Amino acid sequence: MTDSPTPRLLAELVAQGLLPPAQAAAIGEDERTRPFSLHYELRALLYLGITLLVGGVGVLVYQHIDSIGHSVIIGAITVAMGVSFAYAARHRPAFTWGEAPRTSIAADYLLLLSCLLFLVLEGYLQVQYGVFGNRYGLVTVLPAGLFFYLAYRFDHRGVLSMAITALAAWVGVSVAPLALFTTGFPTRELSGAGLGLGLVLLAAGLVSERLRRKPHFGYTYMLLGSNVALLAAMVRLFDGGSGTEPSALGRALLVALLVLGVCTVLVWYARRTQSYVFLLLAVGYGYVAFTSALVILGELVGVSSAFFELAVLYFPLSLIGLAWLLINIKKVLRLT
Amino acid sequence: MSSKAYPLAWAQGDALRAAARRWQRRGLLTPAQQAAIEAAHPATYYRPNNWIRALLVSVTLLAAASALGFMLLLTDGKLNPLAYGLLVLLAAVAALEMIIKNSAHYRSGADNALLYVALLAWGFLVYYVNRNATSGSLASPTLWRWLLPMLVALLAALVRYADPLVAASCFVVVLELLVNVLLQSNLGRLLLPFGVLAAGGALLLALRRLPARTDYFYYHSAELVLRVLGLAVLYLAGNYLVVREGNAELLGGGSPSRQIPLAPLFYACTAGIPVAYIVLGLRRHNRLLLTMGLLTLAFSIYTLRYYRTLLPPEVAAALGGLVLLAGALAALRYLHTPRHGLTAAADEAATPQFNLESLVIAQTAHAPAAPEAGFEFGGGHSGGGGAEGQF
Repeated sequence: MTDSPTPRLLAELVAQGLLPPAQAAAIGEDERTRPFSLHYELRALLYLGITLLVGGVGVLVYQHIDSIGHSVIIGAITVAMGVSFAYAARHRPAFTWGEAPRTSIAADYLLLLSCLLFLVLEGYLQVQYGVFGNRYGLVTVLPAGLFFYLAYRFDHRGVLSMAITALAAWVGVSVAPLALFTTGFPTRELSGAGLGLGLVLLAAGLVSERLRRKPHFGYTYMLLGSNVALLAAMVRLFDGGSGTEPSALGRALLVALLVLGVCTVLVWYARRTQSYVFLLLAVGYGYVAFTSALVILGELVGVSSAFFELAVLYFPLSLIGLAWLLINIKKVLRLT
Repeated sequence: MSSKAYPLAWAQGDALRAAARRWQRRGLLTPAQQAAIEAAHPATYYRPNNWIRALLVSVTLLAAASALGFMLLLTDGKLNPLAYGLLVLLAAVAALEMIIKNSAHYRSGADNALLYVALLAWGFLVYYVNRNATSGSLASPTLWRWLLPMLVALLAALVRYADPLVAASCFVVVLELLVNVLLQSNLGRLLLPFGVLAAGGALLLALRRLPARTDYFYYHSAELVLRVLGLAVLYLAGNYLVVREGNAELLGGGSPSRQIPLAPLFYACTAGIPVAYIVLGLRRHNRLLLTMGLLTLAFSIYTLRYYRTLLPPEVAAALGGLVLLAGALAALRYLHTPRHGLTAAADEAATPQFNLESLVIAQTAHAPAAPEAGFEFGGGHSGGGGAEGQF
């Protein structure tokens, strides 16, 4: 970017003796003459193009499922998928457990495209020919397995998130088969399974970092895993324990403690990787869980009559504490 | 008392440190040189990272609201409303100046929020004094009684605090005043798009003089926001869809809207301005212009489709996606070696004005029936859409 005040900055640095004049001239020259990078713009356009293409093709396929020749559709999608996958495979990096060097941006995006087209194709085959019959678990576990393999082989975090999404779909389908269509949203079953899945993903993230097996995948695992686990726990917390008998309260208390445990892990992880996202996740969910744990404890020891007075005290005080924590976060976490 | 609330050196130091980081990443400075520059121009003010700034804004607003509530309780709400407004205004300005002076807050979120509270209190005062004089409608002949005092306060705040949001509000109020004046006559109504067009152009021209000033860095973030607004308004005032539907709205609705006079001129603007932005952005190496060009181009395509449906949406999406994909791949290949001063390689010095990729994801997240794509983030390295806030 041509920033006309750059010479002024350079002149100031030279005047203060922080920069030799020749180097300042070289920097000024570089600022004037270096090529303008379209890297991010082209990536965004690639991404937009893929999204539009797959979205359009997906709708097209389902709309004209009976009117166009099936073989033509399957053939066209397969060819497109094959071509983009072949390109990606030709430019694939050598396998490593570390972070592979980027070989080609185009290959990255074409791999993504071929994975998305695979989903379109699979869905089409299932709807039109019922190749999987009623084994809906298979429909979801197949892409999950394939995408996990591709993510590791091609070192692609986008495909990894797709694999995790497919895995989540598989868990959902296996836990509550078709309940969605018959008895409404199966909150209870899904929240338990979600909690389990989230914890497994969290563990996967920690393990990949600890064992140095694609450690840069840890971020994706941790982010998706913590969100799934904590959301599911929240659903459990507010939806599950509607009764006030001690056993229901005890279970809710257990969930709240579990959330606090996960939040502790997240804080530890945030400190290790210096990432604010996990810290905020932990603080946000932790605050809700801590507050509901207090309410449950209040129910258990029987001070529920004084709730209002306590709440008037608790909320402003805890919010002030929260604000203080966030303002002094670097000091609290001893970070530089 | 200086006309600026924050020391000029803070903004200057920011610019120096950012430039030094950029040059070091490009290998133009040694790490030792960069460290020396950072040591010579340390950040002596208080500004936490963006998440906490956002939190500080809301906490400060909440605190101000509860302080007002407490005051209302204490006085039983019996004072004149003007007195409350004045009290809030004075208290907010006093607190603002104090936290800048004593705690060196520099856009930490707390000082931004206090400034907004003060301006809101002023807005309330203006509203309350004129509450019977005018209606809120844009065509009301007495609307200036609201807008003019607001503009004065906003301009004063802009000069003193250089806040980006205040800068944006300033421009919006100016536009409202302009529209209000033009709507008073039939001729004015006819000239409305050209008036707004001229306002956007005038703003952009005026901003070109800013970099030569010594206090440029102090107003840098305000300038950025104003340039985005200027470019957007310049485009929207010439956009056929906006002009036609706005015109229909002014004439009392009724759909479908009527054809407008000088339609070919607006066709030309709708098609030409995005292209001009993109070409100028590429030639001047100006990322803001380029980004605005791409966004306005998308809106021009939407405008075209709004009136002429050439293809069914899914076919258009698939074909458009294919063309976009092929074009981007071709450009990637063509610019593999830099040509015409352009390159496809990641420029370590280039930080995008904002993350275009995440914007695209947000825009297309509710596209119809996209197959279960999950929540993929672009490709390998830059995945994560800017959520990876680092300490």
